[in-house]
Amino acid sequence: MNFVRRAAAALSVALLPVTLLGGAPTVLPPSSDTVAGTTVLQQIDAAASLAGITLVVRAGLDRQTMKQNGLAALVAETIVKTPVGTPPMPLEDAVAARGGSVRFTVDPGDVRFYVEALAADAPAVLELLRAAIAAPDFSPATVRAARAALTQEIAASQQVALQVGLDMLNAVSSVQANAGLPELGTPASLADLFPADAAAFYRAYYRRGGVLVSAAGQLDALSTATLSGLAGALPLGTTSPVTVHVAALRGTTREIVAHRDISSPWLIAQYPAPMVDNRDFGPMLVLAAFLRRTISDIAQVPGVVSPTFASRSVGAVYVYDRVPSSLVIYVNGGLIGNPSRTFATALSVVNVLAATTLQGSIEEFKAEAAGDFADNATTLETRTWLAAVFSRESTSPDFINHALTAIAATTPADVQRAARTYLGNPTIALVLPRGTNLQD
Amino acid sequence: MSVRGLLFSAALVAAWSLPAGNATAESALQQSGALPHGGAYVIDPDTTVASAAIGLWFRAPGAGYDDSTPGIAELAATAAAVAPLASGKSLFALVHSVGGELNVEVYPDIVGIATVVPASAARRVVAAITAAYYAPSVDEVAVKTARANAAVLGVQQRYEADATLHDLLFKQIFATGPAHYPPLPVSVAEITSISTAQIGAFAKRAFRSENSFLALSGNVDASSLAAVTDGGGPGRMDPPYDSTPAASPASATTSALIGGIGLAWIGPPITDEKASTALDFIADYLFREETGVVTRELDQSASDAAVVGQFITLHDPGVMVVTIGGDHADQARDRVLGALLAMRTPMDAQTFNAAREAFLYHVASDTQTPQERADNLGWYDVEGDPGYAPGIVDGTYGRSVRSLDPAYVADVVKHYLATPVVVNMQAKESSQ
Repeated sequence: MNFVRRAAAALSVALLPVTLLGGAPTVLPPSSDTVAGTTVLQQIDAAASLAGITLVVRAGLDRQTMKQNGLAALVAETIVKTPVGTPPMPLEDAVAARGGSVRFTVDPGDVRFYVEALAADAPAVLELLRAAIAAPDFSPATVRAARAALTQEIAASQQVALQVGLDMLNAVSSVQANAGLPELGTPASLADLFPADAAAFYRAYYRRGGVLVSAAGQLDALSTATLSGLAGALPLGTTSPVTVHVAALRGTTREIVAHRDISSPWLIAQYPAPMVDNRDFGPMLVLAAFLRRTISDIAQVPGVVSPTFASRSVGAVYVYDRVPSSLVIYVNGGLIGNPSRTFATALSVVNVLAATTLQGSIEEFKAEAAGDFADNATTLETRTWLAAVFSRESTSPDFINHALTAIAATTPADVQRAARTYLGNPTIALVLPRGTNLQD
Repeated sequence: MSVRGLLFSAALVAAWSLPAGNATAESALQQSGALPHGGAYVIDPDTTVASAAIGLWFRAPGAGYDDSTPGIAELAATAAAVAPLASGKSLFALVHSVGGELNVEVYPDIVGIATVVPASAARRVVAAITAAYYAPSVDEVAVKTARANAAVLGVQQRYEADATLHDLLFKQIFATGPAHYPPLPVSVAEITSISTAQIGAFAKRAFRSENSFLALSGNVDASSLAAVTDGGGPGRMDPPYDSTPAASPASATTSALIGGIGLAWIGPPITDEKASTALDFIADYLFREETGVVTRELDQSASDAAVVGQFITLHDPGVMVVTIGGDHADQARDRVLGALLAMRTPMDAQTFNAAREAFLYHVASDTQTPQERADNLGWYDVEGDPGYAPGIVDGTYGRSVRSLDPAYVADVVKHYLATPVVVNMQAKESSQ
């Protein structure tokens, strides 16, 4: 049986029905409080020895103009490099010396800082973060250090073909052009950003309005007031995104090609996908599990049970924590014999899904979706972030029970509806080694 | 009543319903005891996550009981996972059908079967994993799958400098014993030379219930233990399968598909908790990804050499291993040796205190998921010191870290990390 037939057959094979979710233990949902306008989410985990806190500020990509590409990241990195404590040292070093870590992520609408520490050290570490956020050091030396760190990080990410491809696809799929800019900017754009730009961005957008604090782990030493005090470091006020209208590119192709210093080609397809409050959220989780299993089976060496380079070289990811949500399918051409055929097969499977009524049980894919979701929601960082996402995008921060319930309720008809609704015409990114072209 | 109090009450209620009555509470959250039909268990519950990690660990010599069949433990462990159970479905298939993952982890002296599954499936998987191993039904079909699996993993490993260097370093520093041989068969001839009968006999001997340790972590409670219906009855776990260090280990140069440099030093046994912890601390301080001193130096110099360093805690003795891949490996090796030389002088108090706090945090951060905790509990139990598992509440590891001081760490460097055994792996010229 060839690869295409194998994939098509997988759609109709009757799988052993297993009802998994009926007896699932309920996980306590996060608590949600509003303190002086700040949403504070808490997941108390008595078994944890750490406390993890995510602080979400409305100062992401969509607060930048197109010329300010990288400014949101530059401000966040400057905060991480701001000297705090006694003796003063950069926030990241001060936190590490107290037994913890701090990092940030720039999203289309937000910047989020994640700080983690041993439970007993958490109040002191949180105070260090609060001090840096309240008064970042926008001196030339600190901003220069921040720019250098970002430039180094960008150089590293340019070696990661999947990241290069996703950056291109996100730029195309973003409704607002600025929200689709690269998260860290580019070395050229950062070179044009100065301390005064960073200070002005901070003054304009680091406001208390819309701030969310999400904590998980051993929180005995952190009161709700302490957590909300993190937002208190910022001045009052709300902000709005910068509206940037850019005419959509017109063309006959939906392929984007980039060349980088990588050893093998990557093929990446992106489809639109529902947000977490949509009725298609559960079906899309199941659909992603189905695609992940199917293309992994296509790539895997027949008869082998351990994960191999081949099975790890392909994947399907439902990115529901980013706006707009998307479904991404990727193939790393360096690890399997015929990446074009595997990629084409994966896209064919998607088309078949949208056009054909599913035969047989989908219980095994529902189980896989539930397993993936549960297993990917075990670190404190993920748990704080998912609670924040669901708090923002749905009626409750209870991400785990919401997702498992949505998966359990999914029917084959739901899966097909989701496939028809979202999996039409993908945008495709090809990231190729320098010196090669599509025909290679 | 506090949340902790509620959990403690729940744990007591759960323990009351155990099929075997000798559960002992090691802490408010953790329970351990004997399994109903032989073997031991620990439960490390966390009801705030929706998954459960279930690990089954054994003491077993990777190269067979007379060291004449390298790879037999790998073949037996995989064959048992893919052999059909009474239900007709194998453990491997069952775990995947419930949305979980299964990994067979074979080391020179121990075997671990690690699964992570949705919490709702924990009981079924506990039943299946113990049935698959306590009463292995290894047949030709299962062995054929295990051989194919080993062959592919063997080819794959040739492209993994870190794993290949590990095996080569162990071969140099251990004269005899299972650690002298690679856990994965290195050739098809080796794989096919081991018969189904040999594999079946090995599985029956190695995977006895009394030679096992079941580690449960995550959203799981003692009621899952009732699902264990197989086992040979009470008995003792095998003694540890230690290897004998070479009297004068020689360095070596070899050719391979990819290049790299490996360094290794014989360390203390697991029972020397303080020295073992000091070596963990040194590896963390120098080589941890992103934060290690050597790692940061390499990052700042824009070197594309990659250094991985860790102390491997084994029953007796442990081994410090540093592997270097990428370009400019020679310069990276010099940085590694220079950093170790510098650590012979005690660190200043401020630097040391910050590094020790960071290390305590790293240990906690690396043991926060059910899978990580179950792996640690399993590994440290079968290596002979369950109370020393890092990241475990009320364990001895945290106390060992806090007992370290700059002078002691410097002494450990001088005592254990003098001249390393070196393996230079030179990349073969490729025609393509």
